[in-house]
Amino acid sequence: MTPIIETKRLTRDFKSVRAVNEFTLSLASGELFGLVGPDGAGKTTTLRLLAGLLDITEGEATILGFDLKSKAEAIKPHVGYMAQQFSLYGELSVLENLQFFAELFDVSSQDQRERTERLLAFAGLTEFKDRRAVHLSGGMQKKLALACTLIHEPEILLLDEPTTGVDPVSRREFWNILTELHLGGTTIIVSTPYMDEADRCSRVGLMYAGKLVECDTPQNIRRHLEGDVVEIQAEDWQKALEAVTGLDGVREAQTYGESINLLVDSGSKRLPQIERVLKNSNIGFRNIRIAPARMEEAFISLIRKMEGEG
Amino acid sequence: MKLRHIWAVTRKEFNHIVRDRSTLILVLFTPTAVLLLMAYALTVEIKNVPLAVLDMDKSQTSRAFVQQITAGQDLELHAYASNMDEIELMLMRSEIKAALVISPGFAADMQSLIGMPMQIIIDGTEPETGGFAVEHIAARAEEFISSVLSRQLEAQGFSVESLQPIDLRIRTWFNPDLKPRNDLIPGLLSMVLGFPALSVALTLAHEREHGTLEQLLATPIARTELLLGKIIPYILVGLVNVIIIPIFSIAWFGISFNGNFALFFSLSALFMFSILSMGMVLGVFMRTQAAALAVSFLVIFFPGFFLTGIFFPIASMPEIARLEASFLPGTHYAIITRGVFLPGVGLEVLWPNAVFMIFLGVIFTLIGALFFRKKLG
Repeated sequence: MTPIIETKRLTRDFKSVRAVNEFTLSLASGELFGLVGPDGAGKTTTLRLLAGLLDITEGEATILGFDLKSKAEAIKPHVGYMAQQFSLYGELSVLENLQFFAELFDVSSQDQRERTERLLAFAGLTEFKDRRAVHLSGGMQKKLALACTLIHEPEILLLDEPTTGVDPVSRREFWNILTELHLGGTTIIVSTPYMDEADRCSRVGLMYAGKLVECDTPQNIRRHLEGDVVEIQAEDWQKALEAVTGLDGVREAQTYGESINLLVDSGSKRLPQIERVLKNSNIGFRNIRIAPARMEEAFISLIRKMEGEG
Repeated sequence: MKLRHIWAVTRKEFNHIVRDRSTLILVLFTPTAVLLLMAYALTVEIKNVPLAVLDMDKSQTSRAFVQQITAGQDLELHAYASNMDEIELMLMRSEIKAALVISPGFAADMQSLIGMPMQIIIDGTEPETGGFAVEHIAARAEEFISSVLSRQLEAQGFSVESLQPIDLRIRTWFNPDLKPRNDLIPGLLSMVLGFPALSVALTLAHEREHGTLEQLLATPIARTELLLGKIIPYILVGLVNVIIIPIFSIAWFGISFNGNFALFFSLSALFMFSILSMGMVLGVFMRTQAAALAVSFLVIFFPGFFLTGIFFPIASMPEIARLEASFLPGTHYAIITRGVFLPGVGLEVLWPNAVFMIFLGVIFTLIGALFFRKKLG
């Protein structure tokens, strides 16, 4: 099958900074692709390039078979782009914002009526339809922006950190919507700073300093993690954390509530050593085991590796 | 070009104007307020100029002369000075704007018809006021001397009726009282009605600064659709001013409107189109509202003030300024407003200006559409 989005060494410079550096990606129709990476890695620039909002410095990209350089306008009716910042009209009501974008995307008035009703319900905004957008909460604004992006039922969705600054409940609702769209066959690229969100994608790309340094399924990315995760449930986690940080082979220590996750070079080798240290320091623990790696550890270890190389 | 897209943008922009109070005030009330302010500030009549008199003749004639020149509201006798130093002091303190020094022998010289030995001192820092005082005193001196002369002639037995001075009668057409406001206010219209151009220049930068442009550029809207959609609501709101301001000028200032209102209204719409497109061109090039504002003043308002012939006749400008003036919509509109208000002329005279305004509007829109790119950064 021909890819729906294909980029070859896509590059974009801003004055002296290379924001996106030889970004090469091929996306099949219907994928839910997560773009992750530290702040300033070039995620927003990549999405803006794909939405046709920025000039390409070098390289090429085709979307739905159209060349992005010369046919950006032909692509726009098929793409729904949602900017990172709130970029709707604050002085217009929820309904007026939806209508405005529906008109610009040439949605017939019958479709408009149908979809407006459905999207408002789906975004939980029906009772707020006459409220001015500026007076909505952050989460509602994000959902309204998504609704405006979906009004023309685009084949491709480009979402730039759609859940940043949104409470966990809204975040879950948002992802339920995305999953539904994904199941309906929409191709989605979503950038996110949240690793649990990356885990829900069919494929994840990690960007670092403008480059796509890793691109695989979440399972494979986790598997690529060099080293293991040791999980400790200690009685006094603060003391335990103090005792184990800085031990040989411990690269990273993270706490998740009461438990401590240690990223170590080798689980089988380090687990007995750590156990001994805790016993010697008289720190009680309920449980210590080698745990499956999470996306977050995989991500941090990859970034560390990149920083070490860079 | 899809009308549907233009209309969607127009409606959105119209809602923005109506709901954003500062934009509404800028567009609807500023033109009338500025017109009022300028009409008063620029047509102040000089009155009650404070004058000091140093009378070294101290005769009955000199006193009668002083009384005559200070009768009425033009000059006001501030004080009699006893020497030149006092006059200097009063001038320095700005207590007086002019001083009259009557030389000794004033009455005697006049009786023997030698002349009127006197000196007028004016404050050169305000030449307009000083010049007014000189003219006034000179005119009154002439009247005074001719009355003295006729009395002497009568005393010698001549009939004064036979003395016929030249009777020059100047007739000013269209503005018979030569009221400066009658001419100024129609001219000012071309300036104040152009105010919405400022809002238009700001509108793209506003969207850029608020991030809404990003979402807008991701839609399939064409560039001309966007620019026209943004200009149209300001034309509509501007036309409200085209109705309010002439009514206001007629009711408040008593200006006569002798032309055809329908013609005036349509030509005003053309002016709106051309000057708002000019504002839009600036908006296309400026990235921030602050920059758009500064450049609008440089490119639209200052030339609108100095080059469109409202205050300074275009015919006496250097060639390059005249060329620039012909590319300002305000120049053509000032000719139209003055023509329609006072002599009440019609399209048979004004058509070249109407055509030129259409031409400018189309050119500006094309430049705007050509240079506006649907890209960020």
